[in-house]
Amino acid sequence: MKADFLRGIRFADLTWAGAGPFSTKIFADFGAEVIKVESATRVDPVRLGGPFRDGIPGVNRSGYFASRNTGKRSVALNLKAAEGRAVVRDLIRTADVVSNNFGPGAMERLGLGYEEVRRIRPDVIYLSMPMYGEDGPLSNLLGVGMTISAVTGLMSLTGYHDGPPLGPGTHFPDHAANPYHAAFAVLAALRYRRRTGRGMKIDLAQVESTINCVGPAVLDQAITGQEPQRVGNRSARHAPHNVFRCKGEDRWCAVTVLTDAQWLALARTIGAEALAADPQLATAAGRVARADELEAAVTRWTRLHEAEAVMSALQAAGVPAGVVADPRSLIEQDPQLRHRGYWQRLDHPELKVATYTSPPFRLDGERVELTRPPLIGEHTDAVLAGILGYDAARIAALRASGTIEA
Amino acid sequence: MSQPADRPYDALRIIDLTRELSAYATRLFADLGAEVIRVEPISGRADRGEAALPGLGGDVSYAFLNANKKSIALDLESEAGRAVLVDLIASAGAVVIDGEEAALLPLVLSVPGARVVTLISHFGLDGPYAGYLGSDLVTQSLGGITWMSGDPGSPPLRIAGGQAGFVASLYAATATALALYDIEVNGGGAHLIDVSAQECIAHSLQNALQVWDLEGRIPMRGGEGTRDATEQIFACQDGHVFLASPLSMPLSWKALVDWMAEEGHPGGQRLAELDWSDRRKRATRALRDEFRALFESFAANKSKAEMRNQALRRRIIMAPVSGIADLAADPQLVFRRYFHDLPHPAAGRALRFPGAPYRLSEPVWRVDRPAPLVGEQSEELLGRGALHSIAG
Repeated sequence: MKADFLRGIRFADLTWAGAGPFSTKIFADFGAEVIKVESATRVDPVRLGGPFRDGIPGVNRSGYFASRNTGKRSVALNLKAAEGRAVVRDLIRTADVVSNNFGPGAMERLGLGYEEVRRIRPDVIYLSMPMYGEDGPLSNLLGVGMTISAVTGLMSLTGYHDGPPLGPGTHFPDHAANPYHAAFAVLAALRYRRRTGRGMKIDLAQVESTINCVGPAVLDQAITGQEPQRVGNRSARHAPHNVFRCKGEDRWCAVTVLTDAQWLALARTIGAEALAADPQLATAAGRVARADELEAAVTRWTRLHEAEAVMSALQAAGVPAGVVADPRSLIEQDPQLRHRGYWQRLDHPELKVATYTSPPFRLDGERVELTRPPLIGEHTDAVLAGILGYDAARIAALRASGTIEA
Repeated sequence: MSQPADRPYDALRIIDLTRELSAYATRLFADLGAEVIRVEPISGRADRGEAALPGLGGDVSYAFLNANKKSIALDLESEAGRAVLVDLIASAGAVVIDGEEAALLPLVLSVPGARVVTLISHFGLDGPYAGYLGSDLVTQSLGGITWMSGDPGSPPLRIAGGQAGFVASLYAATATALALYDIEVNGGGAHLIDVSAQECIAHSLQNALQVWDLEGRIPMRGGEGTRDATEQIFACQDGHVFLASPLSMPLSWKALVDWMAEEGHPGGQRLAELDWSDRRKRATRALRDEFRALFESFAANKSKAEMRNQALRRRIIMAPVSGIADLAADPQLVFRRYFHDLPHPAAGRALRFPGAPYRLSEPVWRVDRPAPLVGEQSEELLGRGALHSIAG
């Protein structure tokens, strides 16, 4: 289905890179008119970062960019020029939401700070997403997604039970915690505006957003006074609970015993009758105390079998188990994602037919259909003429002066 | 002046049949004014876990994920209990369900009215894995994110802190809000949202899926061959820092090399040599190891706080790797008064809570009620007379 729930809502979207555009993508996927204001001379770094179709770089060939910008329209302007900023102000006058994820002060330097924007659009919903917040002693600290993991405790918590902090292998906070906190806040602000007529500013400090995703550890530390221990793939309360090596190169299956019955089912499936009969292992505490021994027993069995066979045998016995999927196996083999129509194939002038993830839910039994991401500046003329009412001569003059970049 | 009644989700009641996969979703609504009512058995739902403190009513996850919510205890085995649930659903704009409570879905859907019903499960309502058992580790693994973390010589590693639940909750909350919008603004009918936590994780893999789809490469954990030599965790005097100064961030790289040179560290000279301007070479094991040795010898006599101050002053992308215990003293979080203490009368103390995930210019976000004890609001919600017959 084409979901057009948000028809009539317009974004003047100045976000770039990863977390910001992911926040506004869901609005475009649900029918809002998300107008991405970007520059062809100071290009969105995600357009310059790969992967690229066939490995050949190009501003319209980045799969990373494509995955964050489905359904948006692109206007390419030089914001360093006063005329470029005037066009943006005209656009903002018509916009319900103005979004950015620049560092502190950048929007003010463009003359697009909240107070200024509010003067031209009094009920605006204004989303900012600086890393550490707009004010304060560390507000100018530079960072990437992994920096956010570092300063929030997420990096410290993530590591093997007997090793140093490793952190997520991706810029994890950019890809869920921050964009979807932001999207939720904008939707709440829209409801607030309906009820009160008032807009608001959303200052989403990405560090503050991410700390909520380690909230239980914060409470735990405050209560016990102890730093939470890294547990890796293990659990403090359950065993065996880990990923286990399977047949083949670098193939693994997660197995998590969460109840006594699951333990017995696991022990029988792997042919460990003696362990199944061991009274010390009848309780979770007894199993946790002997986790090394039990993991070795499980590995003796799993390494003889393919990961998929381990998963299906254990699931059939009632034990939570799942292969450690890599990107290729997810796209090409996972029968569940395929069955649910998770992958969408969209055509695009330069990316050609490529694979996209659906919004990760079904709505009334259907998938929300995506629209392909824009070429840089693809909609400049349509937006300036159709929304702002500029005539052809004015658009030509803006193009001649370099204000319009594409 | 804002009236206390003016909050984004005022006049919205949500029936909460959540567990660890979606409890955070309804908390987000509660913090912005929704009345979120946990409906649970007389003995409490199993997601409470073991009380972390006497009187807390649950473990720390329960205490965090269920703040601001109410609880009503019902015997859903009895007809009278189920009738109350139906009345509650009839009065609600949304119902959010996960775990064993999914068995109530037919009953929930049988109640007439335009409302959002959001069901969160590990793998979705249909398909070959619909009957599979999930867990945080299993779902992170089948979703593809376990693959992305860990050391190359060791097993793949999940992300800590129950992130399958947080990621699923964030998508579930957003989807629920979108469907509510349709009902309230467009006059849309009832909506059923079927959220798969596996899909949510697979939606959060950075650019790894596109790397396979467009270039036929599979990113390897540990970053060898893909991540710059500088993008690592390094030991310093009193802990670790995370640094990122690849060639794509030339100012940070130059500032770093200049700093080392300024202090007469051999890295200042070595890192200015030609092989360090080769992007590909910098991601090799050899240069990653060499950089580690150089940088850690440079950092050995510098504290995390000093490193952070230098990062600020020199505009280097570098920050301390903070433990949870460090957060309360983080100067920025102190300045912004981020943490706050929520009184918990039954536990006889206050609990330290993270502040809002977003600061709103209107005073509409608050946490003013600790996670409820079982049935704490039964009387308030049902009236004294009704209690006896339902609670048995």
